[in-house]
Amino acid sequence: MVDAHRLVGPVPFDDLPADPRPDMDRLGIEAACVTHTLCLYADPAAGNEALSALDDPRLIPVPVVVPGVPGAGVPAVLDEVLDWDVRLVRLCPERHRFELTGPVALRWLAAMAARDLPVAIDLEETSPAALRTLAAEIPDLRVLLLNPGYRRLRAVAELMATVPNLWLEIGTVNTQRGVEWLAERYGADRLVFGTGAPVLDDCGPRFLLDHLELGAAEVELIASGALRRLM
Amino acid sequence: MILDAHGHIGSWPDFLIPDPSAGGLVAMMDRLGITAMGVSDLLGVGPDAVEGNRRAFEAAAEHPGRFGVWQVYNPHHRTPLTDRPGVWGVKLHPDVHQCRLDDPLYEPVFALGLPVLAHGQTDSPWSDPAQFATVAARHPEVPLLMGHTGLWPYGFARAARLVADHPGVLLEVCGSKITGRWISRLVALAGAERVVYGSDACFLDLRAGLGRVVLAPLAETDRDLVLGGNLARVLGSRLA
Repeated sequence: MVDAHRLVGPVPFDDLPADPRPDMDRLGIEAACVTHTLCLYADPAAGNEALSALDDPRLIPVPVVVPGVPGAGVPAVLDEVLDWDVRLVRLCPERHRFELTGPVALRWLAAMAARDLPVAIDLEETSPAALRTLAAEIPDLRVLLLNPGYRRLRAVAELMATVPNLWLEIGTVNTQRGVEWLAERYGADRLVFGTGAPVLDDCGPRFLLDHLELGAAEVELIASGALRRLM
Repeated sequence: MILDAHGHIGSWPDFLIPDPSAGGLVAMMDRLGITAMGVSDLLGVGPDAVEGNRRAFEAAAEHPGRFGVWQVYNPHHRTPLTDRPGVWGVKLHPDVHQCRLDDPLYEPVFALGLPVLAHGQTDSPWSDPAQFATVAARHPEVPLLMGHTGLWPYGFARAARLVADHPGVLLEVCGSKITGRWISRLVALAGAERVVYGSDACFLDLRAGLGRVVLAPLAETDRDLVLGGNLARVLGSRLA
């Protein structure tokens, strides 16, 4: 079981564990894709550096990329991203104030797609319209949509129906039988277990995973198989 | 015994609920070992409390012993209320009805003495936890469940502090922003006897709500109180 969406490091607005491994142990989560909180709440470059120092195979590093003109991007140049030995990167267009479908980001993301490097984006950092534009511009780019929530299920479903290279983290798909509804329509192989912990809840999604009304093979896909294929 | 303090049946306009049915809830409750759930019909929370309450009683009759009814009271419509068997109490939604919880328009409800489950939302002009303290001071004999414990994580600790001296107020923990860790914190802050499990299903997924308590880092005796012991104490013979 792999949590596709987890943070490591301190947050400024609460007293939360900086190290996710004790909670992962308690909940039986074997590995997690982690982004360092410094990337979100301080300096993305410093966060990526801290992430690279973790050196624990249970913690799969998901560094943050900030596409930008020379002097504005993180890392400084696109080639550094392409040289990273990582399996997933995260984009935060709202937090880092760049245009997801602007010319610079499209150039960076096209290069990443050509290198078969998928990206993770929190729905709160973008919009369905921007994601559709992105998919139209770079159809080969694989996107993991984090934290889709439940209130925008109709819009998320439309995205799943129209963007074949979109995967969905289910941690906040939190309305009654919402995960099964998505699995029936778009396939469990595009749904990914994740939590957003420790800011978001990990107990509910972990319990939900054990009690999905789906076949064992579908649950296995959601627990880790779909993510492994994505990455 | 697991008792879910905060449930709904029916659809809601803001978003798609794939399974809003009472039958779907009961089937899932069976799988999860939930004895009973207190429900209000979402139509009742919305524009038609009378019809919504009728639907809730109908669902309770179709599934004997599985649903207690939180009758919705709309303060603008002065909804008729009853204390017939199967009633758990009265559901108030100050935010949807745009009527502050401490407004005198709710006094007929508190005068009945039935348990009250009210939506609670930190910094809302309608249902901030401070209003629960105000109402509890007026009516200390009325069991008052603060739905969502204020909803937003930044307000959970404040909510617990505000009602600390009002033992009739219980902190009900459903909501999409709460975490198992916060439930554990609330138990530490308020005492396990003041925290009550609710899921908000079918509005939210029943499994996610239950899982937050089942997998929260809690002592088992505390977990038992949260999952059902406290609500059973409040409801007493209403559970029979």
